[in-house]
Amino acid sequence: MNQSPRGLWGFVSATALVACSLLPTLAVAQSSSNPDQWIHIRVESREDKSETVRVNVPVDMAVKVLPAIKNKNLCDGKVHIDSGHIDDVDLHTMLDAVRTAKDGEYVTVESKDDNVRVAKSSGYLYIHVTEKKPSEKTAKATSDKDSAKNAALKKSKVEVKIPMKVVDALLSAGKDQLDVVAALRALSANGDMELVSVKDDDSTVRVWIDSKNVAN
Amino acid sequence: MIFLVKAALGLGATMAVAGAYVFHEGVIRVDFDENRRGGSHVHFWVPATAVSASLRLAPRHCLEDAAMKARPFLPLLREISKELEKYPNGEFVEAQDLSGRVRVAMVNGKLEIDALRDDQVVHVRVPAETIRNVADRLEDAAPGI
Repeated sequence: MNQSPRGLWGFVSATALVACSLLPTLAVAQSSSNPDQWIHIRVESREDKSETVRVNVPVDMAVKVLPAIKNKNLCDGKVHIDSGHIDDVDLHTMLDAVRTAKDGEYVTVESKDDNVRVAKSSGYLYIHVTEKKPSEKTAKATSDKDSAKNAALKKSKVEVKIPMKVVDALLSAGKDQLDVVAALRALSANGDMELVSVKDDDSTVRVWIDSKNVAN
Repeated sequence: MIFLVKAALGLGATMAVAGAYVFHEGVIRVDFDENRRGGSHVHFWVPATAVSASLRLAPRHCLEDAAMKARPFLPLLREISKELEKYPNGEFVEAQDLSGRVRVAMVNGKLEIDALRDDQVVHVRVPAETIRNVADRLEDAAPGI
């Protein structure tokens, strides 16, 4: 307790120095991705199990490497969208509208050919598409029998689940650009999860993120 | 007699140190086999240090020429080579169908590329450190990247 003012001053300045030296590290740690997270893509043929594609990429590697790619539409880790329009749809405005809207089911389409559902719930955006089409073999055999047609439907199911934080990060680059690197960082910070699942009669596709370096 | 023993010891120690230096980066291995009559079979092992050393000894204008040609890809090569060293073990790509199989992986700090088909087999093993050395040397030869 009997510290001299000089000793106290030394202690305070040392603490300030340590705090200042740690601040940038903490700031970097907050903005950087989790180095242990991997993105996995697996495509498997259903008919022939020997046809497979497996891709495993560390998120940290993707975050560092993507800005080094200079392409027509991909530059500095950002994808440029021509005039922000894809088939007359303003993607940026649409995503921004979803981002700012409350939780709920936005799109529900149910037809004889496909079902589409777009919803937002608990900070996640869900897109589910189920396509129903008659399989080629049975369609030929039962082309004139409507009753038999329903029984021979070939289903393909697409399920996409994206955290809204990732959508936010994706849109952070401004209009006409999607910030892929920021989205990857946000995705990594979100933890293990399945992003895309596609199942049809021919093949299955799965995209997920976890901390394993192999796709099991 | 003592002189001979000393000389042998000195030579042996020098050989051991030289050997350790030559192989400290590992070995680059390339195997290529064509599984048909009269097909080519190429197998070679090169100490990775030889690549780094030859890049230092190569004429400056040759390196500059190579660096200028590779200029658009140098930032990408630099980042990939840096990142690969952080993942000494991991499988990045595996694709297979009825006709063959392709695999790109890091195993014990070496980049392994395997391409297998019924009629051709290719195996390439390159230490990640060597890829980084090549990227660094090319970047040095092409300043401003």
